[in-house]
Amino acid sequence: MRTALFLLVATLMPGQALAANQVALDNNVFVERVSTDAQGKQKILLEEPKVVVPGDRLVFVLNYRNAGAQPADKFVITNPMPAAVRFADAGDTSPLVSVDGGKQWGLLSDLTVPMTDGSRRSAQPADVTHVRWAFQKPIPVGGTGKLMFRGVVK
Amino acid sequence: MMKAPVGGAKHQLLPSCSILALLAAFALPAQAQAAGTRAGSTISNTASASYDAGGGTTTIDSNRVDLLVDELLDVTVDSSNPADVPTTPGATGQVLTFSVTNNGNGVEAFGLSTIANAGGDNYDPVVTQIYLDNGDGIFDASTDTLYTAGANDPSLNPDQSITVFVLATTPGTVVDGNRGIVSLVAAAKTGTGAPGTSFAGQGEGGGDAVVGSTGADGTDAGAFIVSAATVTLLKSAVVTNSLGTADPIPGATITYTIVATVAGSGSVSGLAITDNIPADTSYVPGSITLGGSAQSDAADADAGDYNGTRINVALGPVAGGQTRTVTFRTTIQ
Repeated sequence: MRTALFLLVATLMPGQALAANQVALDNNVFVERVSTDAQGKQKILLEEPKVVVPGDRLVFVLNYRNAGAQPADKFVITNPMPAAVRFADAGDTSPLVSVDGGKQWGLLSDLTVPMTDGSRRSAQPADVTHVRWAFQKPIPVGGTGKLMFRGVVK
Repeated sequence: MMKAPVGGAKHQLLPSCSILALLAAFALPAQAQAAGTRAGSTISNTASASYDAGGGTTTIDSNRVDLLVDELLDVTVDSSNPADVPTTPGATGQVLTFSVTNNGNGVEAFGLSTIANAGGDNYDPVVTQIYLDNGDGIFDASTDTLYTAGANDPSLNPDQSITVFVLATTPGTVVDGNRGIVSLVAAAKTGTGAPGTSFAGQGEGGGDAVVGSTGADGTDAGAFIVSAATVTLLKSAVVTNSLGTADPIPGATITYTIVATVAGSGSVSGLAITDNIPADTSYVPGSITLGGSAQSDAADADAGDYNGTRINVALGPVAGGQTRTVTFRTTIQ
């Protein structure tokens, strides 16, 4: 009975209060715009997504921080691709990806996709349904980091 | 457009938001349209992290970011006539066919207009009306809708097309081979401009409307080609008599030859040659020939006939560049 009551209270409490001593994961989305200056030099700008239309390149930035008192072991971050966004790349963060809704995971170059005729073809960025980073070493107390991936609005 | 972030990190005892989000994502209809994600829809992103800080696996969700997809304004116009449309001098109701497609991701109305004096041709067709097709792709003034700018601007869904007919009159002064160009222009009613120009709050679903790569207006040209034909008749007469001279004495025979020459890139239809038998001469029965072939005097299956006062040869349709030769004989009384 006591435990059940505690669970109920926990459910009603705002999430932030509980997270204070835990790992925090912050999610930001930017629009990548290429501008060409008077000298014809291209500049890539990350802008607040005030206006988003099909074809825009979005940059998803995930900041994590171990705010807890213990190292965080077996640290895994997973980001399902929003349905309206086609995965493009993840810079040099080399994530694992899934192309089947999160059932199987691997490097994009190792995955295949079934074709209608029963054969399989190499997976393409557009096939990605989930992006995942699995850390080999524990995140020390106070440790922070940043991950990113790009997608295009379908 | 950015929505206020909602949610935040949650404890493991709470229901897993990431699984719920996943189920919701698969329940959405596939966004396979060429025009892209529909304006007004929301792109939601939430990441999750799992770790073990000594007390077993803990899973947390990130904050959720919601992006409202804004409306992209794009339109293309394509001429549907595979080649120049033949016309004739003074002809009215000459039809050019175009297709207008909404390449944007929201419902948009498009204003239509025409340009006939842009040059690059020989004459300016006079545009009289624009009609909106009823869906069968064939112009019919009784079933298609007369377009009035500002009153019934066609409203198209993303990826939807409409067939538009432009009716024009060909000036009477044009000559064979002249070409006249008419362009149809379709412009998004929300606004046009340089790609990237945005109209705050005017997009479908409450977002902004943003001009796409087409400038939110499209144009394409169709052309008429004057395909006319002219007919010239040349008549000559040769007299023969029993004396072996060319003197038109009583009893002499006159052989008339009429050569019809059709010139131009078009053709004439229903061309007929009629000639009255001159006074003081009488027609020689059965003397009509067409291209060397004898014709009967009765009005029957063959082309020639004689009704007592005149000969008539029906030539039917004759294309430019061809000639027809008709002969008949009379006797001087």
